[in-house]
Amino acid sequence: MNLLRLISWPYVRKHVLRTVLTTAGIVLGVAVFVGMHTANQSVLFAFNSTVDRIAGKTELQVSAGETGFDEAVLETVQGAATVRVAVPVIEAVVDSQREGQGNLLVLGTDMTGDRSLRDYDLEDADEAIIDDPLVFLAQADSIMLTKAFADRNGLSVNSVMTLGTALGPRAFTVRGIMKSKGLASAFGGNLAIMDIYAAQRMFGRGRTFDRIDLATRPGVTIEEAGAELRTLLGPGFQVDVPAGRGQQFQAMTASYGIMVSISSLFALFIGMFIIYNAFAIAVTQRRSEIGILRALGATGSQVRRLFLLESAATGLVGSLGGLALGLLMARGIAASIGTIMQDVYGVAQRADEIATSPALLGLALAVGVGTSVVAALIPAGQAARVDPVQALQKGRYQVLSAGENRARLMAAAALGIVSVLCVAVPTSRPVFYAGYLLAIVVALLLGPILALVLSRAIRPLLKWLRPVEGALAADSLIQAPRRTSASVAALMLSLALVTAFAGMARASYNSILDWVNGTLNPDLFVSPSQDVVTRTLRFPAAMGDELAALPGIERVQRVRNARILFRGTPVMIVATDIASLAETAPREPVEGHPTEMYRLTAAGQGLMISDNLARLAGLHAGDAIEIPAPAGIISLPIAGIIVDYSDQQGSIIMDQAVYQRYWRDDTVNVFRIYLRDDATADAVSRSILSTYAGERQVFVLTNGELRDYILRVTDQWFGLTSIQIAVAVFVAILGIVNTLTVSITDRRRELGVLKAVGGLRGQIRRTIWLEAISIGTLGLVLGFALGALNLYYILQIIERDIAGMRLDYVFPFGTALALVPVILIAAFVAALWPAESAVRGSLVEALEYE
Amino acid sequence: MIDLDRVTRQFEGKRNVTALREVSLTIAKGDLVSIVGPSGSGKSTLLNLMGGLDRPTTGSVAIDGESLANLGDDGLTRVRRDKIGFIFQFFNLLPTLSCLENVGLPLHLRGWARRKVHERAIELLQLVQLGHRVHHLPEELSGGERQRVAIARALSIYPPILLADEPTGNLDTRTGGDILALIDDLHRRLGATVVIVTHDLQVAERCQRTITLRDGGIEQDVRR
Repeated sequence: MNLLRLISWPYVRKHVLRTVLTTAGIVLGVAVFVGMHTANQSVLFAFNSTVDRIAGKTELQVSAGETGFDEAVLETVQGAATVRVAVPVIEAVVDSQREGQGNLLVLGTDMTGDRSLRDYDLEDADEAIIDDPLVFLAQADSIMLTKAFADRNGLSVNSVMTLGTALGPRAFTVRGIMKSKGLASAFGGNLAIMDIYAAQRMFGRGRTFDRIDLATRPGVTIEEAGAELRTLLGPGFQVDVPAGRGQQFQAMTASYGIMVSISSLFALFIGMFIIYNAFAIAVTQRRSEIGILRALGATGSQVRRLFLLESAATGLVGSLGGLALGLLMARGIAASIGTIMQDVYGVAQRADEIATSPALLGLALAVGVGTSVVAALIPAGQAARVDPVQALQKGRYQVLSAGENRARLMAAAALGIVSVLCVAVPTSRPVFYAGYLLAIVVALLLGPILALVLSRAIRPLLKWLRPVEGALAADSLIQAPRRTSASVAALMLSLALVTAFAGMARASYNSILDWVNGTLNPDLFVSPSQDVVTRTLRFPAAMGDELAALPGIERVQRVRNARILFRGTPVMIVATDIASLAETAPREPVEGHPTEMYRLTAAGQGLMISDNLARLAGLHAGDAIEIPAPAGIISLPIAGIIVDYSDQQGSIIMDQAVYQRYWRDDTVNVFRIYLRDDATADAVSRSILSTYAGERQVFVLTNGELRDYILRVTDQWFGLTSIQIAVAVFVAILGIVNTLTVSITDRRRELGVLKAVGGLRGQIRRTIWLEAISIGTLGLVLGFALGALNLYYILQIIERDIAGMRLDYVFPFGTALALVPVILIAAFVAALWPAESAVRGSLVEALEYE
Repeated sequence: MIDLDRVTRQFEGKRNVTALREVSLTIAKGDLVSIVGPSGSGKSTLLNLMGGLDRPTTGSVAIDGESLANLGDDGLTRVRRDKIGFIFQFFNLLPTLSCLENVGLPLHLRGWARRKVHERAIELLQLVQLGHRVHHLPEELSGGERQRVAIARALSIYPPILLADEPTGNLDTRTGGDILALIDDLHRRLGATVVIVTHDLQVAERCQRTITLRDGGIEQDVRR
């Protein structure tokens, strides 16, 4: 501790800027770790608390995925011996028709029973109506709003507001306003309550409910009630506690979680290299100080401890800064995840409060300090081995020895072979991930050698560009590989992450585009909601015939899609007229016969499943699968496997007749419309809208509009890439400023000589700028190389563990090209201040000898 | 050629140190002058001021009739680049550049064409008898050879003024003698004004004029 105060503290005070930059490395790593995990946790927390608030005192929920079920099921549930109260619920996402207010989640409930499960806690109400549910029920236009929503829109009791329903815009009268707590605080207040039977009509649900919320009789456990209900209802129904929905939500965000973990790991690695760089440089620069300490009797282990303590202190300060920055970042990231996740409910899942756990913060702190100490291990070891006699002599000590290079090469070769074996031999998931980690380690081991080779390779070019400045810039890199390579390594890691994610985005985009082009080829799509992912509003089946009768329309295909639980995971059921689909949008199967699979599926003798579901669930053509449905278990063989991106977790495509038989539901989410050759999309679209004006809420999207929408949603998923590019730029600036600051100190005499023999300020600046741009160039070359490898692993992870999607390997040349100027400009910007400081130095002092 | 008018140089710190005190001096064109004196007498400070490496606290320095006082950083650099060649005790060669590149450095900085730089650097290396070492790095040379390269670099622009700070201080006696002979020879052949700072009285005695400094002032100025 005394050494820390006597030796380290003065060094820190003398090199404030460098200390700040070093600490920033850990701040960055910890901030990304905390920010991303906290954001993820916050959204999950917000979702879970929303589920809790909506659930009220509900102990169990009966549902059949998103498909809903016949209202007769309610009687069965209410008749169960273990059930005290059971209340049907319909959830519908409707357009609030108010600018900037987004969608509103409308809960349709049975007011006669629901108040024993949910406390509406009214702030203001037409008491006579609310107190008598029958009156509320009798007035189908009654609605209850939250105080937050009412205040935002200037609404009060007895105000009239319009909502977009399946029957078109309908006026509702506000009968009560709920206090902004509990239920009313879900979705930031964008929630309304109405009578369930009115909701069935308004949202085109026929005689179905979405779910039944229930409470058990006193003395009955939840498990007992669950068991009884499962026996009564059969496997087509899910009987689960409300929190079960949170788990499903978590499953859907798992892919994001894996990406978050990979990003965090890279961020910590990057931070580690910045710390390593700083300590390697510090050991080099404080060599004579270490020599004096050793000469005065300090042992090697005391010197090692000194540096490790310094790194722990840096790690602690950096981690604390990282925690603060991470929590700030979390808010922004949570907002973006919330927006992405809104397709679960259709209403933006806002994470108003940042939910973080002491465990996560403690882990981040430990990881930050640990990373810092690990990063300083090698420099601290080198410091401990400093020979006191040599340390007090002048000379070059940054050169990588041939022995060190050989050891690195051998280690890299050995680990490289193991890494390739881990991938080549099909084995378990941990082996694959170990192979991935080893591949990164190999790249890091080779980094300094490759940086040196590349520096030598670009010297002639730099010299050709500027004979003096260019040659000196390259020489500076060659002479101090330690100084250069850690910055290059940090930049390499950062760019490898950006490249791989951009490649993944590009590949997904291409695959989805291919699917959109092959499958979504109707001229028009008719949907009951503007937001096509919202499936809570539906059309009656009869509307298909009405549409087919309209002039200009050649063919209408009904599509019903809904998520159900298949083997415990939410997957999408897509039910349509398969025979018609085979004629208009046949897909090449991944497995199965191209025509036979359509014939069998259309005849109700088989099913088709998406490629990603097959991969995630380990299914093949010919396998028989069982799908539990409200009216029994569908047991059919897989007739074919096709590429289908209807849902991230996979989809099951069946004929509409099968779906109707097993779900007793003939409603439609979307009509796919093919036009006659002589019809125009515009004219038919107008005709459809005028036919249903005032009767139904109808949105007609052209093929181009739907395609744009899908691609926009896809883009949102990959919005993370832009955050990573920002991190890469920050890393580039941080690493380069750090390296150049030291480079200028190291090259003080050289720059002094340059000035003494006639180097103008512009020429001095140019040599620093060229050095920075060279570091940027090395980082780009190595980053793209590692990125190419990283992309392979990321695609494998997606195929194996995330979405089951088999994506084509396409290197993202567009992003790479865009990154070149971004990083080179960042490098140049990073060099501005160091270059000025090089110009300003005293010439006499620079030429003096110690 | 070099005029110093009541030049004082003070270094500020916790304790102010006056390295030169009101020194006035004129060195004529073509002179070979040595500056001697004990450590701390202000020899190197005086040389730095003559070479435009440093600025006086008070007083003025003029080179070839041009006052340095009003020149900015780049102005001073141009004076050094066009009129002054430096030879340092520790050679100050750039370790990563070959002999050829080190000698060509000032010419590149002046923007000369590559071919012309190459020709001149070869010519100068041959002049200092290092024609066989053009592609060697400084670390591959002996101390005397390094100083020859440094001299060749100082002469690359054929400067009217050559300033040498202890040019033999880091060399053995025989090599030091060779270097002095070379400087002497170049002085005669090129007609440059040469100022040598030295501790070595034998070196000083080979010069036409010797200025002795003590405690920041001129103690003696002997012409031969």
